[in-house]
Amino acid sequence: MLGRLLKPTTIAHAHCDIPCGIYDPTPAKIAADTVAKMVEKITALPADASDFAARNSFVRMVAVKEEHAQICKKELEILWTDYFKPEHLEKFPKLHETFWKATKLCSKNKQSVDAQAASDLQAAVKEISDMFWASKK
Amino acid sequence: MEPALREGDWILVLPPRRTPREGEVVVVRDPRERSRLLLKRVASVTGDGCAVIGDRAEHSTDSRHFGPVPYADIVGRAAFRYAPLRRIGPLRRG
Repeated sequence: MLGRLLKPTTIAHAHCDIPCGIYDPTPAKIAADTVAKMVEKITALPADASDFAARNSFVRMVAVKEEHAQICKKELEILWTDYFKPEHLEKFPKLHETFWKATKLCSKNKQSVDAQAASDLQAAVKEISDMFWASKK
Repeated sequence: MEPALREGDWILVLPPRRTPREGEVVVVRDPRERSRLLLKRVASVTGDGCAVIGDRAEHSTDSRHFGPVPYADIVGRAAFRYAPLRRIGPLRRG
């Protein structure tokens, strides 16, 4: 009752590049899925194809993998540094370790064409996404 | 404006009775969209308004972008946080 009486009637924004509170792990998930898909497509390419069309496809797939690994890293960093707060550490003691591992996996997926690394990245993003949604409860 | 202000803080805002002072947190109308209110810290006071900057300058859009805010657009001074309970207290000049 008292809480309702004291509740402010006006909202002011203290962070205005983006209206506060728009955080979502979905872009990181889409980026990680894209990386995994590119690894799958690159490894499915015939190894001996050397015509321009095949080389063009190969280069484009590698470029998309690189780009989305970077997007994934950026999106994870936004969640890590802006969304999660010190009090979340009590609930998720492995928070820093999980983010560190996930962002490192983004780099590993740039350096290599490695289905295991791609699937590890997807799993790490899933773990972060689960923490994110659990923190909203 | 973290850590001074966090999303969800309940703030008492006093109507301006004097010229704001450097370092105070003020509520101003967003010059780009006047119905929107912003909380920023006064960086400097000029003849006809004041320049405001967010505490997290790297993530803030403020007077560096939209220029000084005229006095008429200063809604008040953010003086006191009354919720959440464990964060109750005056908003200090920074």
